[in-house]
Amino acid sequence: MVEREVTVVNQLGLHARPAVLLVKTASQFSSDVKLSKDDIEVNAKSIMGVLILAAEKGSKVKVSAEGPDEEDAVEAIAKLFADGFGEK
Amino acid sequence: MEKITVREFFDNRKEVLELTLLSGADGLDSILESREVQRPSMALMGWYEEFARERIQVLGRNEMSYLQSLSPDKLVEVIEKLFSYNIPCIIVSKNIVPPPAMLEISDRRKIPLFVSRLSTVELMNKISLWLDNAFAPKVYIHGTMVDVYGVGMLYTGKSGIGKSECALDLVERGHRLVADDVVEIKKHSENVLIASGTNLLGHHMEIRGVGIIDIERLFGVRAIRMQKRIELEVRLVIWEELEDYERLGLEKQFTTILGVKIPIVTIPVSPGKNLTAISEVIAMNHMLEVFGENPAMSFVERLNEEIRRKKNLRDYLKNDFE
Repeated sequence: MVEREVTVVNQLGLHARPAVLLVKTASQFSSDVKLSKDDIEVNAKSIMGVLILAAEKGSKVKVSAEGPDEEDAVEAIAKLFADGFGEK
Repeated sequence: MEKITVREFFDNRKEVLELTLLSGADGLDSILESREVQRPSMALMGWYEEFARERIQVLGRNEMSYLQSLSPDKLVEVIEKLFSYNIPCIIVSKNIVPPPAMLEISDRRKIPLFVSRLSTVELMNKISLWLDNAFAPKVYIHGTMVDVYGVGMLYTGKSGIGKSECALDLVERGHRLVADDVVEIKKHSENVLIASGTNLLGHHMEIRGVGIIDIERLFGVRAIRMQKRIELEVRLVIWEELEDYERLGLEKQFTTILGVKIPIVTIPVSPGKNLTAISEVIAMNHMLEVFGENPAMSFVERLNEEIRRKKNLRDYLKNDFE
């Protein structure tokens, strides 16, 4: 299992559009990908799960993946967060 | 485990327990470490062996009348001693007004002092119930929770296998949705798991190709439930020829969530399979079993009886040389 802590950097936080991007990215991998924030852990391939994290700018999210392509999955998602999902 | 502060307890319960904060507001952020409540009668009498300082302390008429019987000096000494144990908070029942010295010490020691209108027994029961719930072990599961004929069914399986679609179909047929996608599960007592949704999620669900829908708005309150005990887990898997599925239903499979054993049914999903009808049958079958009937077992008994009957007949004819 691979785990990494990432920070939400874009102004609007993890709102609907970035959530879709995240879910689509996570779904490209066959590993089980999970996100956790505070005490709640959700499936990164489910849009509702990602949305209810309601992660605001500056908050920390833990990305974890388990499976054959776990390294790549975490890398790709961490990159999305770091790029602010292409937003400011 | 989550940390619960005295402030959260107060904010959450002030109406139900009819609490009023008298003093010690500076200590509201101290953490509750125990799920138990206690009456510190023995402690007031000076006996502090085995005193559980981490519990919420409730003073009833009995304790308060003892305190009132003391001389002013002794009163201060007794209260000072009790507060010196750094207890989380004190609640006085029946709206009994505590002596001014107690307010002063509570402010100085930063230990909140509340008064409630309720009787001691009622107060202790209600606090216990709330603490049990607040301290209950909790886990979040990716799945869908539906009440089918009153049987709490937790659907699990990979993303996109059709959990939400199955739940939607069940709702259409008059069953009730508890939560989709993220199910919060709490362990109440030794063998009861209670599932509910999260605040933000409510009764929304995502249907691929459609987007996010609100079951409560679409189908009304009859289609939803806030929480439900988990009685069965239904695991949806992709149909693969190799896998071995239950064919008779004689042996029950179990899974464990938060240490509680729950029967699990694995259903292979394939095109043309009516998951809704199967779900209803699983629920009804579960109820039959709860009532003490096992259809698979009774069928096998019938079969065995038939085999025995045939064998007896054959044995009889074999020895019949007439």
